Amino acid sequence: MAHRNLLYLLSLKELRTRYKKSVLGWAWSLFNPLSQMLIFTVIFTYVFVAKPLAGDPSGLKNFPLYFLSGLLPWNFFSITTSVAMSNVQGGAGLIKKVAFPHEHLVFSVVAAQFVTLLIETAILVIALFVAGQNALPWLPVVLPLYALWALFTAGIALALSAFNVFFHDVQYLWTILSQMLFYVTPVIYFTDALPDVFVGRVLNNVANYGPTGSYIVAFHNLFYDGRWPTGWLLLQLAAMAVGIFALGMWIFGRLSPRFAEEM
Amino acid sequence: MPDPTVILAVDHLVKSFRIHHQKSNSLKQLIAGRGRNRYDDFLAVDDVTFDVHEGEVFGIIGQNGSGKSTLLKCMAGILQPNAGSVRVTRRMGALLELGAGFHPELSGRENVYLNAAILGMGRKEIALRFDEIVDFSGLHAFIDQPAKTYSSGMYVRLAFAVAINVDPQLLIVDEILAVGDVSFQRRCLEKFVEFRNEGRTIVLVTHDLGSVKSLCDRAIWLERGKAIDEGDPSDLVEAYTERMLGAEAPAADGSVRRGSGEIRITKVEMFVNGSAFAVKRCRTNDDVLLRLYYQAEKTMPQPVVGIEIQSLGGATVTAPNTRDVGMVPPTMWGSGAIDVSLSNVALLPGTYDIHTTVTDFNRALIYDHLREALRFDVMTGKPYETDGVVTMRPEWKLS
Repeated sequence: MAHRNLLYLLSLKELRTRYKKSVLGWAWSLFNPLSQMLIFTVIFTYVFVAKPLAGDPSGLKNFPLYFLSGLLPWNFFSITTSVAMSNVQGGAGLIKKVAFPHEHLVFSVVAAQFVTLLIETAILVIALFVAGQNALPWLPVVLPLYALWALFTAGIALALSAFNVFFHDVQYLWTILSQMLFYVTPVIYFTDALPDVFVGRVLNNVANYGPTGSYIVAFHNLFYDGRWPTGWLLLQLAAMAVGIFALGMWIFGRLSPRFAEEM
Repeated sequence: MPDPTVILAVDHLVKSFRIHHQKSNSLKQLIAGRGRNRYDDFLAVDDVTFDVHEGEVFGIIGQNGSGKSTLLKCMAGILQPNAGSVRVTRRMGALLELGAGFHPELSGRENVYLNAAILGMGRKEIALRFDEIVDFSGLHAFIDQPAKTYSSGMYVRLAFAVAINVDPQLLIVDEILAVGDVSFQRRCLEKFVEFRNEGRTIVLVTHDLGSVKSLCDRAIWLERGKAIDEGDPSDLVEAYTERMLGAEAPAADGSVRRGSGEIRITKVEMFVNGSAFAVKRCRTNDDVLLRLYYQAEKTMPQPVVGIEIQSLGGATVTAPNTRDVGMVPPTMWGSGAIDVSLSNVALLPGTYDIHTTVTDFNRALIYDHLREALRFDVMTGKPYETDGVVTMRPEWKLS
């Protein structure tokens, strides 16, 4: 009871302090994905010239919207995991002086970033609507899927931030790993457009069936294509979310009693 | 069957830390140094057992590094013991640091809510106590300002107000009395006394041996992680100071000196009724001036000078010090004298000893403690009473 209150207040703190002392404040959280979207659009329209594939069955042929529907959830994942690590590390003063459930330092970041994700998604839905694709009917599926994605992200964030207390290399390693992960996740390319050579086939498999890739595929299905992800995919995503979260909780639970003396 | 009045039971508690000769906090070191990553186990708390009963004020004394804080952190659930157990049967509040988790960008109000939640309070509970917290801190006008605009004194006041309003049945306190100014320390102390009088239980770790003596019902003495003694706080503090300071051999005049020696009281002289000749006797109701000659080898900040007048029977008649009257010099250096004038001395005939002490401001470090600095006699004066050591100048009336 009291700890739910703690989680709520810690999340509120995350949200309140994030854009303190900045003039544009919350608008910054929108500029980030928008600028990325712009960069990728320019690059793929003028530099490495490629054609956006049509959404099936939506018929949408639009790079910016395709990028955004994958970028928003991806950014949630990558920002949450890295901020969670520094939040736990930065909570050293608290961890050493007060007994409280340490996992709330991670959950509060997940919750605060989730709020950001929801706001950004609202913008995406409006943009899709303007482009002629009504995403509203899919929201009842998107939201539970977001929840699973958040659970998956929380699991990874828990494990990483627990390891990071013992070895600070984890955060640097993760910067590199998450960048690699970004490119094997179909955020800025269409898997159907990958060349039918060995590397292309490998990438195709990883992008479609890898842990992060399969979530992004589902989000593309819902936002860009305007169709249901396959039932098999949904089942896989749910199982992965629960499994990774349980694993993360277990690792964190095993390591967190030793935080106070390691910090 | 466990004793129901025991609300904190520490049972054979052991806590050790690994001292790495080369601290490896990176994977490379871990992988490269595997097998030759040398470390020693340092026993911070070594098989400590004690019970704290409901309504008790329990003190923990010991030198720096004796394991007090580690023990406290184990009791508070911050550190996991290697062996043994801590059993707590009441709502516990641990004040190890005031304002842990305060965020400078958040307002005082937001920080109160967050801090109280960290200390384990629910939302309704905080809302209920919010006014009380603000009242105690006295920060009404600033409660919606960001905490970064607060002075350190305001910060501590607000933090203490939150901590004390968590309303624990068992309060664990670490050295909190050492922060803040004198008036704040006094308020903290009052609050602790109030807590005690309400029948709550307090576990106190402090260097201020005076407050251990005056506040605690029982105490434990830690040395190198082991509990070497437990019992009455006065006896314990006595034995502790004895051990820590190590009595020097008595001087020719019978005086015994202890302390670290940065400042020493070299001599105490007594003058009576304005006379310029030092004497060793006076009468009841005389005006007595005590002159304490000091010598300071180093510049010591805020020394507190005190005297104690003790009857030959061992009763302390009075023990004033300069801190109580707010007369603490910023520093003390070189040599000089301090005069203490006592008008219309109320001592009754007998022999008395004067002991002097010079301590740091918190009265934790004893620079000098001179026992029997001066022995003097009080002769018959006015009024005269056969029994007792002091006179209250009674006026009798038959009716």
